[in-house]
Amino acid sequence: MTQVPTDLRKHEEVVAEFSSATTSRTWYFYVLIAAALLFLALSVGFVGTIFWTSLPVWLHHGFTLIAGKGWSSPTGPFGGLAMIVGTLETSLIALAIAVFIGLGTSISIVFFLPHRLRNIVATLVELLAAVPSIVYGLWGLLVLAPWMQISVIPWLNKLPFATTIFGNPGQQTGTSLLLASIVLGVMILPTFVAISREVISVVPQDLIEASLSLGATRWQVIREVVLPTSKVGLLGATFLSLARATGETVAVALIAGGVDLTQYHLLYPGTSIAAWIALTFGESQSNEIAALMALGVLLMLLNFGLSLVSRSLVNRQRKLLAVV
Amino acid sequence: MSDIVELEEPIEAGHEMRAEIRKISNRTRSRRVATSKAMMILCLVSLLIAAVPLALLLYQLLRRGIPVLNKSFFTSLPSTPTLIAPNATGGVSNAIIGSIALNVYASLVAIPVGVLVGVYLAETDSKLATSIRVIAQTMAGAPSILMGLFAFSFIVHDLKIGFSALAGSFALAVLMLPVIIISSEIAVRNVPNSLREAGLALGAKPHKVSMRVVLPSALTGIVTGAILAFSRAVGETAPVMLVIAGGFTNAWGLFNPVSALPLTIFENAKSEWPSQRAQVWGIALVLVAFIFILSLTARIWASRKQKVRN
Repeated sequence: MTQVPTDLRKHEEVVAEFSSATTSRTWYFYVLIAAALLFLALSVGFVGTIFWTSLPVWLHHGFTLIAGKGWSSPTGPFGGLAMIVGTLETSLIALAIAVFIGLGTSISIVFFLPHRLRNIVATLVELLAAVPSIVYGLWGLLVLAPWMQISVIPWLNKLPFATTIFGNPGQQTGTSLLLASIVLGVMILPTFVAISREVISVVPQDLIEASLSLGATRWQVIREVVLPTSKVGLLGATFLSLARATGETVAVALIAGGVDLTQYHLLYPGTSIAAWIALTFGESQSNEIAALMALGVLLMLLNFGLSLVSRSLVNRQRKLLAVV
Repeated sequence: MSDIVELEEPIEAGHEMRAEIRKISNRTRSRRVATSKAMMILCLVSLLIAAVPLALLLYQLLRRGIPVLNKSFFTSLPSTPTLIAPNATGGVSNAIIGSIALNVYASLVAIPVGVLVGVYLAETDSKLATSIRVIAQTMAGAPSILMGLFAFSFIVHDLKIGFSALAGSFALAVLMLPVIIISSEIAVRNVPNSLREAGLALGAKPHKVSMRVVLPSALTGIVTGAILAFSRAVGETAPVMLVIAGGFTNAWGLFNPVSALPLTIFENAKSEWPSQRAQVWGIALVLVAFIFILSLTARIWASRKQKVRN
């Protein structure tokens, strides 16, 4: 995904000499810094505007928004518990799917595939990431949901504890939290694979060869050397995928059912924060818009927090390997 | 004599012990090899599972998308099917024009500004640069629906411009900017320092070196990054859906309400008319084909250039 500059430290040294001169007061410097300040202003405006618009809701109905049940348009009260629960539920299940399959995928891309296939598969994974989320939503709605309804749901209901996990057969729908989680899992898989592949492939060759020379099998090398060495970076990949999953909008809006039910049964319809904003924004008036903005603030905090954690983990991994 | 006997016995015992050890180690070795093989198969199976959705998705797109593509799909305006004419869906020319307008306006602003910020981050070394880098990386992963909320409250509501192409392309520009900043910073950083030093040694001023030497050599990376950001923005629904109001005319003006291809998919996917649900697959096919061609060309072009340079 991202290329790490190879001569980072050397670059810093040159830049230290170079920058004071580049940034001497020429028109070039002023253009660059103007662009940088414009971007800074835009980012501050981005956070500030959304927060400012939602301020009345936080002041007067903050608790209802976080812990209240039921969203009654157009007057309120606006309870966001169903959306918060739905967001966490769908993204955590999606994360479990993506991490389990994605780890196997990255390991096979790096260690088990022949060189020629490796590039082709990596490109395919990147194409999977390039498919717009609306197309995944369409696929889920028109292909997977009918298929779930006809063949998967009757089978799932025969499993033990089915009513506890999936709910009563009468109230189950094809477009459900479970379907949204599965499609979300497919959607965040490329993100996880891209980062974990990068993390795994920079494990020093010396370590791998040393353990091979001691008679370890390929799997032992992976389990005892590769995974422990790259675990911090893999955790970072996990957090970033979770951040992606929480922010996915239109696919979840199409296939989660779009109902503000506060519950955890997987085959009932539900919604997520982002999907709820997308679905209800069009018909909202001022109060409801402010409440939706407040949901947006929650989503922003969740997303920014997760991606900051993930970034610091991936950076720590880079430093660890630089020492080795 | 007794010494010899005493000597032979341990050797005998050693042989037996060694054989025993070999037997045990062979057993554990074959177990280890078997585990290794099993885990390798498990990994390859998960690779296959990861490939299945892509294959199924592409199959459905081609099978359902190709039949609905014809001349009027691209050239005529949409119409609502009625009981008398249930198949009269019209075309999606409004959405095609709207998508082109939105993304071109957004790129016209986001690409130059993003490249300049990227150059700034790569060529200077200040606290401002460090904080902007962190902000850009965080913004690059921000949920795209938030860009829509921002565009709504800033352009539509505060500036009172209303639902328009301007608001939609503003949202898309905010979405593209961090991606372009990050990719062009990496491109500029990857320019070898020997080039900078050579320029300086010839007596060029640092800002001339940056402009005339560093930027041209980083151009491939910058263009690739811009194309990838563009192809991501083309498929985005969430940022534009709140602010462009989905017009039904071939409008492309900055202040007109416009439509967009992904938005049309979102609105028609739940339509009660089977003909409209079928047409949506055509839109999805056009969108995915456009994005795949764009990003594959960018990648192939970049890797060719890379080879030439090496």
